[in-house]
Amino acid sequence: MTEILASRAFRGPAAEDAIEAVHNDLDSLWLDVPFVNDMDQMTFTTAVIESASNIVQHAQPAGERDVELGVETTVQPALLQARVSAYYAKPPFGPMEASTPDEDAESGRGLALIEALVTTVTFERQDGTNTWVLSRTSSQD
Amino acid sequence: MEFSYEVKDSYAEVKADGRLNMVSAPKLREFVTDVIAGGSNRIVVNLENTAFMDSSGLGALIGCLKAARQAGGDLRIAAVQPQVNMVLKLTSMDKVLTAYATADEAFGND
Repeated sequence: MTEILASRAFRGPAAEDAIEAVHNDLDSLWLDVPFVNDMDQMTFTTAVIESASNIVQHAQPAGERDVELGVETTVQPALLQARVSAYYAKPPFGPMEASTPDEDAESGRGLALIEALVTTVTFERQDGTNTWVLSRTSSQD
Repeated sequence: MEFSYEVKDSYAEVKADGRLNMVSAPKLREFVTDVIAGGSNRIVVNLENTAFMDSSGLGALIGCLKAARQAGGDLRIAAVQPQVNMVLKLTSMDKVLTAYATADEAFGND
């Protein structure tokens, strides 16, 4: 069985406040697992915040209910994993492929950045929920 | 995130303390736009106390850079911390947003 060393879970309206709450959750998570090195903490936090921000900025409600953001983060001995979900959301539109915008573009770098920060990114859609699963194999000091 | 600025001899120094994310990014743009409108077109954004930046924050810096150049000046960044440096490198924007060790050095040779 997989050993979970520490975890955090957030769920709430997909709004700006959620981003600060998720970031605070991550900061407190790292205090529980000081053996996770600074580089892993930094990269994983950035990837999770990018994904959560993407949902807050772009997720569209599928029906009358507002979109909710869910972020479940777990630390295993050699693996950091986050499930970043948009509940009650339409399927994402457009290509979910990382782009390389012009150097003076002010947006469009998020997905490429996420891919550069974690080992794998997968997408699932089930029961009206879009979930991005971010995994980073923890490096050794 | 808290913003402040100080007009120096040859540039205006803007400090952005905290997390530069999707919440604070539009506020940074607005703040720097106001500094430029106030007559300073050479801007140094001091990132000494910017512990975190995401792609929204990066987009805001690029927007501020364009605004400074449109006003006939430039925008440079200083005292970049490790997470911000990582985001700049991974997006190759370290070539566009030139980083200096201190705010004083940013326009030191101009």
